[in-house]
Amino acid sequence: MRLEHVGRRHGLRGPWVLREVSLTLPAAALVRVVGTNGSGKSTLLRLLAGVDAPTEGRVGGRPARTAYVPERFPAALPFTAVDYLVHLGRVQGLGRAAARARAGEWLERFGAGEHAGTELAALSKGTSQKVAVAQALLADPALLVLDEAWTGLDTGARAELDTAVRERLAEGATVVFVDHDPRRLEGEALVVHGVGEGRVRELTPPVAAAGHARVAAGPAGLARAAAAGLVPTAPALPAAGPEPTAPRVSATPAGPAPPVRITVSGGRSLPSLLPGNPTTAPGPDGTTLLTVDAAHSDALLGALLAASWHVHHLGTEGVRV
Amino acid sequence: MTALLRYQSGLLLRSQRWLAPLLLYAAFIGVGVQAGEPVLGALGFASAALLPVSAWSVRICLTQEPPAARSVVAAAAGRGRAHLAALLTGAAWPVLVGTVAVLAVTAIADRRGVTALAAATAGLLAALACALTGAAVGALTARPFLRAPGWSLAALVLGSLLALVTTGSPAKHAMTALVTGARTATADPPWLACGGALLLAAAASALACRATARLE
Repeated sequence: MRLEHVGRRHGLRGPWVLREVSLTLPAAALVRVVGTNGSGKSTLLRLLAGVDAPTEGRVGGRPARTAYVPERFPAALPFTAVDYLVHLGRVQGLGRAAARARAGEWLERFGAGEHAGTELAALSKGTSQKVAVAQALLADPALLVLDEAWTGLDTGARAELDTAVRERLAEGATVVFVDHDPRRLEGEALVVHGVGEGRVRELTPPVAAAGHARVAAGPAGLARAAAAGLVPTAPALPAAGPEPTAPRVSATPAGPAPPVRITVSGGRSLPSLLPGNPTTAPGPDGTTLLTVDAAHSDALLGALLAASWHVHHLGTEGVRV
Repeated sequence: MTALLRYQSGLLLRSQRWLAPLLLYAAFIGVGVQAGEPVLGALGFASAALLPVSAWSVRICLTQEPPAARSVVAAAAGRGRAHLAALLTGAAWPVLVGTVAVLAVTAIADRRGVTALAAATAGLLAALACALTGAAVGALTARPFLRAPGWSLAALVLGSLLALVTTGSPAKHAMTALVTGARTATADPPWLACGGALLLAAAASALACRATARLE
């Protein structure tokens, strides 16, 4: 999915909130959006989710299954929690029985099972937020947009949402999020976009450092994890030591990381847009050799495994393992 | 689309917001139509009363969701499709109510000179023309074009009135056909007015659905 020179203003003559935004969202990637209050983070997320259309520019390649969790969900709707979720599940393309089953399942996961039959208007703020999060996860979205979705949730539900986000990533979905807590999913974001003064620029996320360190230290371990069917996104592996929380950009080491080479075979046809835009070359014995930036290697592995590819070998370029 | 329509209808029915326009229509019919009155004139009145009711019903459906809930549905189904579902739901219920009213009026009014079938056909077409014109008025005077409730309501009332009296409006055309028919006791089905209303409503909803993601 990509945005090309996108701008957005409120109404016909309102002030511009965002201008000249060009960015690409890779598949199977966690994307964090940062910025100060009122900088236009929510506007960017609404454009990505398709809630708002851009005033200028183009948004292309949005997956059909898109789900969005708004900042505040004070839904004064005349439905019970489970009825609302069934309606939303059906809007997202599920059958009635499947929608009802999923609705119950997700309410249970977030610890709101006993409120299934409660009217939405009577729910507490936190439980109402759980319903808002549950509706987004009902139909396995390929693009999940979370606008401070963790706010108002209790500790258990926050951890559950973290887990749900990792599950979506493992299945090849793109997750875009804003959260005021800098430690939220720390070190797992593949891309960080900073919003400020109406512009969006890509910041180098701390994962570049962590990812590089991990790959350089133990590619064989990563390959084993891959062979065992684990998706080596950050949660599957310990982070490479404690990282400073702020400023996030300063965590990047000086100097470029060597590219990572991944030898793979089989699997379904690859998505056209792989994380990190790897270069592809034929390898020995009918395999395919992908070369990618160290910063994007974890996300690329995730995407490959999600598409049932077999990973033969993994190593940094110029280093024999 | 079926799921969206079901969701919008669920919202409308469970919130009981349908009650006020229905009561208004019942009051119109109760005051304006008497048993034993010439059938075509009574049908003309029943159709005309449907126009503001339909505009109001469409406005209710467009504004009944809180913005957060609307965003959630827009992400899942597309902003334009969600808007279209609200428009269709808002227009479908008045059409249903109008159909019942036309059949009831045909049954109790004085049918001298016209067959029940001819009267009912003309009445149904006129009711459809008025409901669709009203829906177009509702679509153009609510979100995303007019968001302030005061201006929106004022425009809705004025628009409904104008749609009933302006020459060239499909609703006015359909009513004129019935009222003239009542004088000569000939039921001319207002096909042309109905087609015009359909085009008008389609154009208004296409405009509204395209504008909603851009203007809001």
